[in-house]
Amino acid sequence: MATSAGKAPRQTTTIGLKEAASLADDPCDVACEALPARIVGDLTDNDQSWLLEHTSECRYCANELRTYDRLGDALAAAGAIDADVLEPPPLNMPRRDRVWYTRIDSPIGDLILAATSHGLREIEFGTDVEDRAYADQLRQRGAEPVHVDRIEDANPEARANLERAAAQLSEYFGGQRAGFDVPLDWGAMPPFQRAVLEATADVPFGHLDTYAGIARKIGKPGATRAVGNALGRNPIPVIVPCHRVIRSDATIGGYTGGLDKKQRLLSLEGVMLSPGPRPSH
Amino acid sequence: MATAPAAAVRPASSAVLEPAAHATFTFDDTLARYGAEIYRFALHLTRNRSDADDLYQETALKAYRAWDRLPCDANHRAWFYRIASNTFLSDKRKSNRLRSLDADGAAEAIPAASRDDDGRLDAGALLREVEAFIENLPPKQRVALVQRKYLDIGYAEIAAILGCSEEAARRSVHEALKKLRERFGDRI
Repeated sequence: MATSAGKAPRQTTTIGLKEAASLADDPCDVACEALPARIVGDLTDNDQSWLLEHTSECRYCANELRTYDRLGDALAAAGAIDADVLEPPPLNMPRRDRVWYTRIDSPIGDLILAATSHGLREIEFGTDVEDRAYADQLRQRGAEPVHVDRIEDANPEARANLERAAAQLSEYFGGQRAGFDVPLDWGAMPPFQRAVLEATADVPFGHLDTYAGIARKIGKPGATRAVGNALGRNPIPVIVPCHRVIRSDATIGGYTGGLDKKQRLLSLEGVMLSPGPRPSH
Repeated sequence: MATAPAAAVRPASSAVLEPAAHATFTFDDTLARYGAEIYRFALHLTRNRSDADDLYQETALKAYRAWDRLPCDANHRAWFYRIASNTFLSDKRKSNRLRSLDADGAAEAIPAASRDDDGRLDAGALLREVEAFIENLPPKQRVALVQRKYLDIGYAEIAAILGCSEEAARRSVHEALKKLRERFGDRI
């Protein structure tokens, strides 16, 4: 497609100036109407040729063309900007952590793994969660989500964290691994919840603790209910084994991913429990 | 043997406009890609560095906040321009003040490069008048003219940016140029 002076081609299909002039009462009207378009590069090569042909025969239009060309030059000069000011200034933007997430299979259903460059940020039970909805959740938690179909598409550090988590989870579900040593990224987690989760991470494979027990371990013996709430918001289930924390009466307690998953994980670790009368934390 | 590769390989240039793009292209990527031309647009609109810096910062912040609500198949470039242009137009409406020509403004005004210095009388003065003329155009005409003349953006995209028809975008530029002709035609 013909372009003029390196500008983007005309976007609409209109008849050429030559044809328009042959239909017009006065070809000079067509020529003069086309002159503004000429100085912003809207004319096709054919239009330009007709215009130059016409102005070589018509003094009025030739004058008008010269005027418009000078106006075009003046516009260009008036709008010119020195190259040394073209560099954009640094921006003062609120920062968000970039979180790379992907989906893996597991015996307890799809898991969405989310990691930053610093460590594993979240594990989400993904069977009933679409990627877009999960991305929205991440954003609400102040992160900038990046979805990858394959772990190797994540940036190198996040990729290493995702790979390590996926491999260790697979070994765990295959009965070949008891503990995890994936770096964890707690993000901007409040200190109490973080203390609860760190204490929970110390409960070994196949062992149980209670909400009251965790509360004592973090030096807040009265905070049993708050411990339950903090565990209910555990962003990294399975690897931070909140499934190993139960009620003091030895009933199973609650589980955000569903009690069936808690039971499944515990039985994988050789622990059998009956569901309690009131499934709550 | 010439067979098509099994895995579909997307050309990098079209990737940003594809529906899957939003999930994999971050706000930072998009800003890195279009930031420079948006800043240039801001310079053309405001004609001074401080206002351009503010407009650019405000545009980036608004874009950042709206990023989550952007449909996946959005044209990111037009979307960015649109935010910049709307911010400029609404600032313009709010303050309704012309570019200040006080000492600060004059010191900071961007010098027009390659002015015609070949001895024609009043060339510099004329250029300043043309600059002032562009600044005093109705805002939409000004945005359309700047985009077409200085940033080489096509009418379909100008229309998308201004939220008008392609024909209206073309007409805005045309009208601005006709006015320019009326004002300066016999002095140039």
